[in-house]
Amino acid sequence: MAFNVLVVDDSAVMRAMIVRTLRISGVPLGTVLEAADGAQALAAIAEHWIDLVLLDVNMPVMDGQECLTRLRADPATASLPVIVVSTEGSAARLDALRAHDVAFVHKPFAPETLRDTILRITGVSDVCVTDGAAAAGDDFDF
Amino acid sequence: MSVSLTAPLLRATTSTFEELALLFAFPDDALAAAPVHASAAVHFDGPSAGRLALGVSAPVLPAIATNMLGADAAPDAALQRDALGELANVVCGNVVPSLADAAAVFRLRAPESAAGDAAMQAGAGETMVGEVRLTLDEGSAIARLFVRDVGSP
Repeated sequence: MAFNVLVVDDSAVMRAMIVRTLRISGVPLGTVLEAADGAQALAAIAEHWIDLVLLDVNMPVMDGQECLTRLRADPATASLPVIVVSTEGSAARLDALRAHDVAFVHKPFAPETLRDTILRITGVSDVCVTDGAAAAGDDFDF
Repeated sequence: MSVSLTAPLLRATTSTFEELALLFAFPDDALAAAPVHASAAVHFDGPSAGRLALGVSAPVLPAIATNMLGADAAPDAALQRDALGELANVVCGNVVPSLADAAAVFRLRAPESAAGDAAMQAGAGETMVGEVRLTLDEGSAIARLFVRDVGSP
């Protein structure tokens, strides 16, 4: 199975960094889409089949918490796997996010931390990171 | 300067440079005022309001984006500014919890880029409560945390 992934972050560089980590994680990837805020993310999810969302919290237009609330309120996306990738440090806000059954990766993150979380959430265990890196034409070293 | 806020600012800044930009950072209080080539600021509000400012010397700006993207050559100026802004955002998100208790919720605004050291100076009604000066392999960086005085707009 190839996973269709949506990366949501208002920073283009951070989106590229996450996509790069995805490509060398060994997870079989289908389409990788990007969105710069929660509203764009909801629009992308409405138009495309998405298997995994990596979601920032602090974003303009619509933040990640609001986006997540809307996703969980919709039966079609209520169980969509979500990894929140954020600097968020508030215990109250973290509890609120975790109540939506998400995984959390704290920024700054080591690439292997994000990779391990992606593998855990997707349930992919039979991966070859070296092959994945070679396939991506990437020399990034875990 | 508040010693209690300098320590979390130092931790947040060094870990962000090292983990996201792959640039090893060493605190250097004696660092002379190296020319700040570019700076970025992230405003926050919540139990306290203020601004995190991050400035870097000229060689550091392209190095941040190049390393974050794993690129062979420096990306364009817009991506370089975006990368610096994202570092400021991450530093800010990690240091503002030190301004309040664990239950406090802060809202961070989108990073604002500035040429030179325009973002590094205290504005009206702002007080600097922490500063770190870092030496990097490629140059230097300065992070400053400002809080807005009660009653300031």
